Formats: sequence, structure tokens, C-alpha cells
Amino acid sequence: MNLDYAGLFHALRPETSLVVGALIILGLDLSIFRRHTPVERLNLALWIGALAVLAAAAHVWFAPEGPVFGGVLILDKLAMATRLGVLGLTLLTFGVASAAPAPRNPAEQVAIILFATTGFLLMAAAQQLLLAFLALELASLSLYVLAGFDKTRPESAEAALKYFLFGGMAAAFLLFGFSLIYGLTGSIELPQIAGQLFHVTLSPLLVVALVMVLVAFGFKAAAAPFHLWAPDVYEGAPTSSAALIASASKLAGFTLFARLFWREFGAVAGSVSSAHGEPGWLPAVAVIAAVSMLIGNFGALAQSNVRRLLAYSAIAHAGNLLLGVIAAGDAGPAPFYYYAATYGLATVGAFGVIAVAERAGPCQKITDLAGLHRRSPLLAGCLAVFVLSLAGIPPLAGFFGKFTVFSAALQMGGLAGPAGWLAMLAIALSALALYYYLVILKQALVAKPAPDAAPIAVPAIAKLALVLAAGLIVLFGVNPSLLLGLF
Amino acid sequence: MAQFLFNLFAAFTLVCALGVVVNKNAVNAAMCLLLALVGVAGLFVALNAYLLAFLLLLVYAGAVVALFLFIIMLLDTKGEQRPGLKHASLVARLFAAALVGAGLLSFFARSRLPEPALGPASAAVGAELKLYAYQLFTTYLLPVQVIGFLLLAAMLGVIVISKKLDAAEDAP
Repeated sequence: MNLDYAGLFHALRPETSLVVGALIILGLDLSIFRRHTPVERLNLALWIGALAVLAAAAHVWFAPEGPVFGGVLILDKLAMATRLGVLGLTLLTFGVASAAPAPRNPAEQVAIILFATTGFLLMAAAQQLLLAFLALELASLSLYVLAGFDKTRPESAEAALKYFLFGGMAAAFLLFGFSLIYGLTGSIELPQIAGQLFHVTLSPLLVVALVMVLVAFGFKAAAAPFHLWAPDVYEGAPTSSAALIASASKLAGFTLFARLFWREFGAVAGSVSSAHGEPGWLPAVAVIAAVSMLIGNFGALAQSNVRRLLAYSAIAHAGNLLLGVIAAGDAGPAPFYYYAATYGLATVGAFGVIAVAERAGPCQKITDLAGLHRRSPLLAGCLAVFVLSLAGIPPLAGFFGKFTVFSAALQMGGLAGPAGWLAMLAIALSALALYYYLVILKQALVAKPAPDAAPIAVPAIAKLALVLAAGLIVLFGVNPSLLLGLF
Repeated sequence: MAQFLFNLFAAFTLVCALGVVVNKNAVNAAMCLLLALVGVAGLFVALNAYLLAFLLLLVYAGAVVALFLFIIMLLDTKGEQRPGLKHASLVARLFAAALVGAGLLSFFARSRLPEPALGPASAAVGAELKLYAYQLFTTYLLPVQVIGFLLLAAMLGVIVISKKLDAAEDAP
């Protein structure tokens, strides 16, 4: 094995920037800024964190392509695009965190967000089972902590516990699946595994391994029937944590598992392009995608809580994204990457609006948003952009994301096979989804405010983050090649 | 002989693992876990991975299970009466059991497991301390570093979550 330590260090400069930033934040908070107020400490931590993220983004941009350290990491176009997307979403999460009330341990919160982002970056590039698992665990463990960060609300603790128990179970399944794969192929490197599996037919043991990895994927993607944690976590976790769980974590998870499935199990993919397809993991993913779309969309119809509604919408979007992963064999990773990245932008933005609105009072029910256009026109306008993008209205990015994923799925075999049927189901359910998205907008843009509702003051940093997210959604929607051109 | 030892240790591990799950008394469950780990260590010895077996006994059986016992005794959990099975939960359990049973049945019915397509036999990394340490700090350097940061994040989380709410600290 070619052990090139200098090359490894060069390739890991983004992760190093993030970790060093986290350590500086912790050190400064414990020494110089110990006696300051939590708000000052939060702002300082956020600024240092933002600098670390920007430094990491610059390193990602200028990193050379190719395998690193004998193929432990692969820096290809998908890895670069995902890393940039994750860093951008983390930056916007910092904006959300600046709008939310300062927690008791602000520096620790920002540091753990940076650790989670480090995990996401490694997930985006991992090409070895061991590293993939550890990166996933670094990210997940940080997210469990972030979900339980608000110690004043019991819901936060409940969210963290549920997330942790589900996540621990999923991690156990993933590890069991990985060990079976190692037993079958004798390797933990993705290219070698793919080479070994090329000669192997779909044996029972391989099916067990596939199912176990699929369970972990379903958990990470919040796809049905592994979605049960999502509504409680979105509702109970602090707003900035929920934003990170809903956006950057999704993007990195989809990249990791798409790489794992197509790179490693490509030989046993099976087929869903015709009605009598071959067995493999594609049909299983197609079933999960269909169930997610149905449960997500119909579940969202019944919600009266904004965050739970966003959670069920996330489950529905996970179904669409799985369709993108199915289509990635023919169309490449660009469609599902575009979808995941723009979906992340819209979700972070929606949580940002909720975080700002919570400064003036509770914002849990949809009716708490009533009269937002009077209380803060900017907030209402941004919310309209985010929600309409989630619904898939042109010219916003959500529309083009759906368009590119569905057309890629339809090109797999037209309406002759499950992929085409799935695309038609997704299109029909998108029309249904418009209803519950418009319910949010009706409250925000049409309904009259409660008589005692005060105007909402938007802090400058949060204003910048929200306008940036909304602007990016419009920009990527009008000019999709800005994102697709990364491939 | 090797096959006999494998069967023996595997059966021993399975029985003890079952004991962890079904035991109502938490202390007994922890002791069963200890025995299960001893069984796994036996399997490692059968694979010539002496170092791994030693580490497993030292770290897991020695330290981790002892910590479990400490925590169980500190919390003073009694073997609580389990709540009776609700109707839905019973149906769910039966369904899950049927699913696993069907899977196992089809597994045995079509049990033409292929010979593992192993490449050229690699040196057993867990056999020798020097080789193990060498691999840890060369080939697996990056995973070890990632584990370091994972533990740091976990430690931060534990401190933040378990620290008591202090009124004096919260005052601006």
C-alpha cells in the first residue's frame, strides 16, 4: 500500500481547518471569554466557526482530484460538490444558531457542530468501510448531542434519546452488514469489494448484508419505515440542531450511501427499468422510496405543528431522493446531488425563519405563524421562497430538482417499469404536497396576526443568512448549471 | 478439533448472549455478558488472534463490564416487573418473529453458501502486538485519528448534557 502521509495531510486540510477551529473556540471560551455573557460567547464562537468553515471551503475548492492514501479517500467531483454543499449548509446553520437564544454552553455547541461537519466531509469522500463507518458515527454522535442541547426543555432530551436509540440500532445493523461484506470479500476497500462481488451471484449471505446496510441507509435518510425518529427529533431538538440534521446530514448521508451502493454493490444492483426486473438492491430501494413518499405526504397532511410538518415533508423528500439514487446508475450523481443540496437550502431557511419567529414568542403550531407578513415582511417573503421551493414551484430550485430527478427516473425505461411508475407516483404526490405547503403560506401571508402579536425584529446576521439562502434558491433555480456544472 | 472448539465456543456465546436478553435481574444480565465475551475471546483464540482475545478480555470483560456493574449497583435497579403484553405489541412481536423465521427458513432451504472469495491470505493482524501496532499507526492511521475526535465530541457531549443546571452560572 502506498502510504503517502504528505498527500493525506494535503487532502485532509478542510477537516483539519474545522477541527482546529473547534479547538480554538473551546480554548478561547475556557480562558479569555469565560466571564462574558452567553450571547457574546455565542457570537465569538460563531464568527470563529464561520472562518473555519470558509477556510475549509477554500481548501476543498483547490484540492487536487484522485484517490488519497492508497484509496482510503476518493476526491472526485461528487466528493468535492458534496463537501462544498455541506460547508455552505453549515454556514447557514450558524446563521440559524445566531438567531436562536444562546444556549448555556454556546462554545461547545458551535464546536460540536464543527465536529459533525468534519464527519460529513469525511463521509463525502470515504472509500473504505472502516472510515465510512467512523465518519458516520462521528457525525451521528455529534448530532445526538446537539439534539439534546437545550436542557431547559424536556422535549429536547426526549428527542436526543429517541434519536440516539434509533441511531445506535442502525449503527449496529450497519456494522453487522459491513462485517458480513468483509467476510464475503476479504476486503474493506470499496474498489476491491466491487471487484470481488463482480464474480459473485446474489447469495443469501450477501442479501443479508445488503438488507442490513439498507436499514442503516433508511435511518440516515429518514425514509419509511425507518422514519419514526424524525418527527420527534425535528420537534424537540433546538432549531439550529434540527436545521443541521435536516440539511447537511441528509446531503452527506445520501452521498455516502449512493457511493457505497453503486461503487460496492453495483454488480448486484438488479433492475427496476422493466416490470420483470432482476433481483438486487434496486427493487428494495424502490419499495422504500414508494412507502416514504406515501407516508411522508399523507402524514404531513394531518400535522398542525410546523416542525412535525417539515419532518413529514422530509420523509416525502427522502423518497424522491431515493428515486434519484436509483437513477444515479444511468444518469450519474448530479440529479440527486442537486436535489439534496437545494432541499437542504430550503429546509435550513425554513428552520431559520422559525428560529427568528421564536424570538417574539413560541412558534410550534402553524397558526403561530399567522400574520407574519405584518410582523416582519422580510421573514414572510423568505418563508414563501423556502416553502414554495420545497413544494417545487418554478422558477425556484426545488422545481428543477424534482424535474431533473423525475426525468432521470423516467429515462430508465419509460413507464414500462417500476422506476417510471415511481416517478409518476412522485409527481402525483407532489401535487398533493402543494396543499400542506400552502397551508403554511396561507397563515404567513394571508391570515391576520393575533391582536397581541408584536413585530419581529430580525437580527442582522440572521437577515443575511436568510436572504442568502433565499437568493441561492432563486439563483440555482434560474441557473441550475451553477450546481450541475460541478460534475 | 478446530471445528469442535468453534462449535463449543459459538454455542456458549449464543447461550450467554440469550441470557443477557432474557435475564430480568440486571446484575445477572451483566454477568452473562461477561461470559459471552469470554466465549468470543475463545473464538478469537481459535483464529490465532491471541492479541485480540487478550484485549477483549482485558478491556471489555475486565473494564467495561465492571463499569456496567458499578453503574447498575449505583442506580440500584431492581428486577422490575415487566408490563404485560399489549395486544398491538404482541401482534408486532409475532409478526417480527414470523419474519425472522421465514428469513432463516429460506436461508437454510437455499443454503448453498459460496466459498468466501477470499484473496491471498493476509497476515492475521490481531496475532502479534508489533504487527498490530504497526498497522494501527500506518495503514489505519486515519481511522485512529477519527476515533480520537469521535471520543472528544462524545466527551464534550457528556459534560454538557450531564452538568447540573447551576443558577449562579446562568445569571448574566
